[in-house]
Amino acid sequence: MADYNKPIPDPDPYTTGPFWEGAKAGKLVLPRCTDCNRTHFYPRNICPFCYSMNIEWYEASGEGWIQTFAVQHRAMGGWADETPFVTAFIDLKEGDRMFTVLRGVDGNKPEDIKCGTPVKVEFEKVNDDVSIPFWRVV
Amino acid sequence: MPTNPSMAAAIVGAAESNKIGYIEEGATNMTLFIEAIKNVCDQVGIKPSDIEGIAAPGYANALAEYLHIRPKWIDTTSVGGCSFQMQVHHAMAAINAGILDIAVVAHGESGYSARKNNGKGRGPRPAADPWAPAAMFEGPYGLSGPPSNYSHAFTRHMHRYGSSQEDFAQIAVTTRDWATLNPRAVMHSKETHPAGGPITVEDVMNSRIISWPLKLLDCCLVTDHGGAVIVASAERARSFKTKPVWIAGAAEAISHTSMIEMDDYTRTSAWQSAETAYTMAGMGPGEMELAMIYDSFTLTAGITAEMLRLTPLGEGPSLWADGKAGPGGSGIPVNTNGGGLSFSHSGMYGMMLLIEAYRQLSGTAEDGVHGLPGKQTSAKTAIVNGTGGVLSVTGTLVLVADD
Ligand SMILES: [Zn+2]
Repeated sequence: MADYNKPIPDPDPYTTGPFWEGAKAGKLVLPRCTDCNRTHFYPRNICPFCYSMNIEWYEASGEGWIQTFAVQHRAMGGWADETPFVTAFIDLKEGDRMFTVLRGVDGNKPEDIKCGTPVKVEFEKVNDDVSIPFWRVV
Repeated sequence: MPTNPSMAAAIVGAAESNKIGYIEEGATNMTLFIEAIKNVCDQVGIKPSDIEGIAAPGYANALAEYLHIRPKWIDTTSVGGCSFQMQVHHAMAAINAGILDIAVVAHGESGYSARKNNGKGRGPRPAADPWAPAAMFEGPYGLSGPPSNYSHAFTRHMHRYGSSQEDFAQIAVTTRDWATLNPRAVMHSKETHPAGGPITVEDVMNSRIISWPLKLLDCCLVTDHGGAVIVASAERARSFKTKPVWIAGAAEAISHTSMIEMDDYTRTSAWQSAETAYTMAGMGPGEMELAMIYDSFTLTAGITAEMLRLTPLGEGPSLWADGKAGPGGSGIPVNTNGGGLSFSHSGMYGMMLLIEAYRQLSGTAEDGVHGLPGKQTSAKTAIVNGTGGVLSVTGTLVLVADD
């Protein structure tokens, strides 16, 4: 943890606080509209589907699927040491989408990675204040 | 009462900075802007002080001051490479509303020189906001610029439609063929660049992987470039030294800012902006005789061809297959300047699309620029589409020759 050498988010506590608090506890905590019941991501102070401002936070399943992916052969900072690594957009079981560096895959074999593959979330503690979610092929 | 702005305005001139490409003696955004504006004013026969409106991404105010002009219409829209298509749209609407008669839309970007000069001369860059959604939710994951984003859309297109990397590679090959006919193109020949001249699908497939499935030859150049067009009212359009090219349709649309919010990775908002532009023009894709399509990557051009209804969904690269879109090809010519892939691409390529479309439709492609001709086609109509951001924003124009 002390030597985490990649970008560490500096979260906005006002609209995203519960997400990061959840991450520290190893939980995927998502925002949901109490009027239309839909989950949205990234977190907002308004529901982007029905424009209600009644938002609650809840613990999600931490399950999802690969929507699409790419293999990064060029990167900056700490990520440069990890090329080729796989990045992916993840469709969440509860709806909407997150971005990640995908774990449990080989960047040298992109043909073995398929859109639609199930993935699960895990969290990496990078300092005392922040844990970052990553998704892993199960 | 609102009126249809179709044909209310025309592009009456289009020019570039004195030098483009890899300018070894160096350039700044401002020097490129000013050369292009000076050149387009000389071309149409006006002075900068005759300009009533100025549009330039992030620079309209700085340019007005630099040139000591006092415009009554200012548009500094900066949403990436399609900003210029949008500014032509805005200028046409303002002209149609009777606000002004002559506007300049300008571009100056030292994409190459700024790298040598540690970012200096490339204008004010807003500091990254750590609380921006993309900073928090994409920032931790190792993306490094446009290719690392666009590649995800490429993968999804292959998954959804069964398209291949070779299909998209053909776009780079055909676009390079056009560049070999444009002496100003960076990749014109071995004389202009060690890697210049014709390429094959195998060359594209064997080029270095940048962000799989994007290889080096799927990606645009990063150059210095300045360009400017003059947009004038229908009343004034025939009063210059140059020929008008009419704006029959214009539209813009946005789907997202960061790719986490892109609903469908195989579709862009060009679907919407093209539909609106065709409707305004009262024309359809079958009537387009030239297509100038933003090719930041082969992927961008391929899926945009679908959005512009030039091919069925999922079959965008077929527009280029077997060189159909190339010189002497059996289809409509596409990106006759050699594209952002092989001509020049400073970062915001939309201006180069506009300039080439103007040259083609005004019949001046072979008159050349600084003594170097391009390849003239017989096109009388064109669709010109810009894409900005990470497949985020689009601007589409339908242009028609004066004859
Ligand atoms: Zn709602």
